[in-house]
Amino acid sequence: MATQPHTAPPRPGRADSGAAKLVVPSLIGALVALTLGVYGHLHNPTGYAINIAGFSSPGAVKSWLATGAFAFALVQVGSALVMYGKVPRVAAPSWIGGLHRWSGRAAFLLAVPVAVHCLYALGFQHYSTRVLVHSLLGCAFFGAFTIKMLVLPKSELPSWTLPALGALVFTALTGVWFTSAYWFFSTFGIRH
Amino acid sequence: MKIKTPYLTLLTGAALGVVLLVASMLATPKAPAAPAAAATPAPASSAAQPSPASPTPTATAVANVPARANYAGEVNGGGASVAISIHRGQAIAYVCNGSVIEAWLTGTAANGHLTMTGKGHARLSATYRTKRAVGHVVAHGVRYTFSAPAVHKPSGLYRAIAVVRGAKIKAGWIVLPDGTQVGSLERNANAAAPSAKPAPMLDVTTGTAQDGDTVLVATPVSGVTGSGF
Repeated sequence: MATQPHTAPPRPGRADSGAAKLVVPSLIGALVALTLGVYGHLHNPTGYAINIAGFSSPGAVKSWLATGAFAFALVQVGSALVMYGKVPRVAAPSWIGGLHRWSGRAAFLLAVPVAVHCLYALGFQHYSTRVLVHSLLGCAFFGAFTIKMLVLPKSELPSWTLPALGALVFTALTGVWFTSAYWFFSTFGIRH
Repeated sequence: MKIKTPYLTLLTGAALGVVLLVASMLATPKAPAAPAAAATPAPASSAAQPSPASPTPTATAVANVPARANYAGEVNGGGASVAISIHRGQAIAYVCNGSVIEAWLTGTAANGHLTMTGKGHARLSATYRTKRAVGHVVAHGVRYTFSAPAVHKPSGLYRAIAVVRGAKIKAGWIVLPDGTQVGSLERNANAAAPSAKPAPMLDVTTGTAQDGDTVLVATPVSGVTGSGF
């Protein structure tokens, strides 16, 4: 990753130079989403994966992990709003960046075991609208997250890039959570 | 040389995913090379340890064989419907043409194979995997073949039993994934060869059906939840 010399003249009025940097990460992210979906569809669901002790069922484990990820995602949105100065009368404290980074890492790492179970044990399914939406958004979430991570270190991005990608990631995770954990808890009751 | 932290985040997540995937693959019971090899330990372990907490139900001895499943579909040719519910080695099935041809069957499910019998020489034989159950069923002397997909609530099998004026009424409904249903009702279910007639429409939201002046309360027979077993 060679850094661009800062002496390169900026080209005002044109976002293309910055936006062009989004192409490769976007393609990689799309590939990630597609790979997950294709794997989930081609792999014969086993109905079985390693479980975490102390929970009644894989569904309960996943629902709680996903709920944890969703809670951290809410922290993500809150801390991002503060960082961008969108919360009136709240100045961004020095630790807000750290909070944003670590809550994001936590959310992502909590979501990974859920995705592994989904793809390995259950697969990409479409037998109802909820399940289809969940399958699509689940793949999209990891694709969008990949794009955001690949884009983050780049400089001179259009200013809308990170908020837009963050919104994409958060929207996908919200949809994933409502079509799975929320459905699970409202169907079977809140249990662990 | 310092890896940029977002890349590190991605790599960590990917590594965690790979580790969990490999661990799941190692933990998943493999399909045996010879079916006989798995057939021996499976019934033995289910007899010795009927613990509901057991994380490896006997039916997972063969890959893609669910321990709990519900299947429902029309038979080939569309003359009747069949529903099968499997719950931890036990199976309940119902085949019904919405009129006189109907039969309840019970039996065992092991290693992806179903063997079931019912009144009036009804019998069912099928193989089942995660996505569907394929086999044949004989009821009222009629042989049907079927390939029934796995179904999810509210689709599946429903049963209602009531005693009215000393006679046991037994009704069954099969609700297909597209919402259509067929059902039959036995007026005198304790008879050796009960005669059936079309069942009244089942309201799947309330689980009830109105049979004359009797309200039949139906129970889902679900292998997934264990209801009706």
